[in-house]
Amino acid sequence: MRGLALAFVLGFLSCTGFAQNSPLSSEEIKAILRHGPWPALWSPDPSNRVSGKVLCATCHAPFRAWQDARPRAVGLAEVERNTMNVLNVRYMRWFGWDGAGDSLWAQSIRPILDAREMGGRVAQTAALVRCDAGVVAALGKALAAFQETLVTGRTPFDDFRDALARGDAQAQKDYPEPALRGLRIFVGKGNCSLCHAGPAFSNSEFHDTGVPFFVAGGGVDPGRHAGIKKLLANQFNLLGRHSDDRGGKSAVRTRHVALEHRNFGEFKTPGLRNVALTALYMHNGSLGALADVVRHYSELSADRLHSDGEVLLLRPLRLSAQESADLVAFLESLTEKKASRPRRGPRRPASNDGRLRACAAGGPAAAGRAARDPLRAGARFFARC
Amino acid sequence: MEERRDALRQHAAAAALIGALGAGLLASSPGAAACELPPGKRLASGNVALTYRIVPAKVAVGEHFEVHFAACLGASAVVSGQIRADAHMPEHRHGMNYRPSIAASGAAGAFRSQGWLFHMAGRWEFVFEIGGERLTDSVRVE
Repeated sequence: MRGLALAFVLGFLSCTGFAQNSPLSSEEIKAILRHGPWPALWSPDPSNRVSGKVLCATCHAPFRAWQDARPRAVGLAEVERNTMNVLNVRYMRWFGWDGAGDSLWAQSIRPILDAREMGGRVAQTAALVRCDAGVVAALGKALAAFQETLVTGRTPFDDFRDALARGDAQAQKDYPEPALRGLRIFVGKGNCSLCHAGPAFSNSEFHDTGVPFFVAGGGVDPGRHAGIKKLLANQFNLLGRHSDDRGGKSAVRTRHVALEHRNFGEFKTPGLRNVALTALYMHNGSLGALADVVRHYSELSADRLHSDGEVLLLRPLRLSAQESADLVAFLESLTEKKASRPRRGPRRPASNDGRLRACAAGGPAAAGRAARDPLRAGARFFARC
Repeated sequence: MEERRDALRQHAAAAALIGALGAGLLASSPGAAACELPPGKRLASGNVALTYRIVPAKVAVGEHFEVHFAACLGASAVVSGQIRADAHMPEHRHGMNYRPSIAASGAAGAFRSQGWLFHMAGRWEFVFEIGGERLTDSVRVE
């Protein structure tokens, strides 16, 4: 496809006489065009991966808003949960539907070592990057450094919100009226913003929203309850020896998280930015469209909620058809206009580990490259591991 | 009339004497001097008094914060085993997702509590349980 496009461009330039008048030769144009487009997509390298079958990008596909558009993720086998996209993950406190990851780097290691996802082992993964087992943590940190750059762009809602903040009534009129009506439901009678809070539209915590947690084969998905247990048992958590900040601020959440019976069946509040691009919805991917999600909250059965607090907060909204459409319009306004591929955010120092300088993919030569550009190393890992 | 004035004068003098004696006793009490509360929001119930402050001063939804507090049980500084500190949303009937830790900090009866996080906007209620007393205070988080 790319070659066809290039031939078309060159043919067009030739037909219009541009090529003859241009100081650039056709060979030079070819060479220049190879430096784009930017941001670049990358091609997963199937020869270099953990299990030989599954890549990070298998489930977190860049062209599908960094998820897979399946109800439930399929690695080496199908799992019980929907793939969370990795957009705006740098703003989160917990990772995964059950929050079993307390850092983005720990969460990045998890699927690599999960038998049903990528099927790696610590020793095998360490061998892949040609260093000791401790570098698996550094691998996670490089992956995190890359994912921290995946930030969605501005949306119609942001323009409206900022116009509101500066009192620009004229600019506020650009925001569609249905979206504005939906926004008022979102922050008003819908109570949506209690959990979908802040600029990322997530409080990064866990709730039972009445979505069934029964799974195939008659089992149940315990959600946050099991997530906390996994978190505390994980050698890669923020209290472990691989963390760069064991006694510091970032470990406060792990040190103080409370395991309660009510955590059973709770799942993480997902962020809503670019939500129109991230179907299917809910932790089990059971809802196919935003309208279905709105219907879920409109017709919610309180009998399916098991927590006193959630029962008080979540009542069926009983929205009219117009109100439901308005709420969907608002949710769509949280999606950037040109969002076929999320923009990269600004580069910033990631939670990188000094060991990455000594131990990186591909041996000493690659280690040198990774030391100069850990972000790029993370992108390579993401595409290859 | 003159007799009544004399009686009032004697009563006032007696009251002043009792007041002065009482002040002297309090000032010389070693317990009172050992349990002075630092500046902060003051709560009291029964024979328990407490001052607390939040660090940082403004609580933001979804951000961890600390509570620094000091407490007196009668005239004595409170020791750590006598304290429980938590918070909840009365209208929502749920608490935090975190269990704060409490550690002695500096002067006797002073504590630093970490791990607090309010994950929703609305009214939260701090609850301090000390020596059988329950001290509460509400804050609204936006």
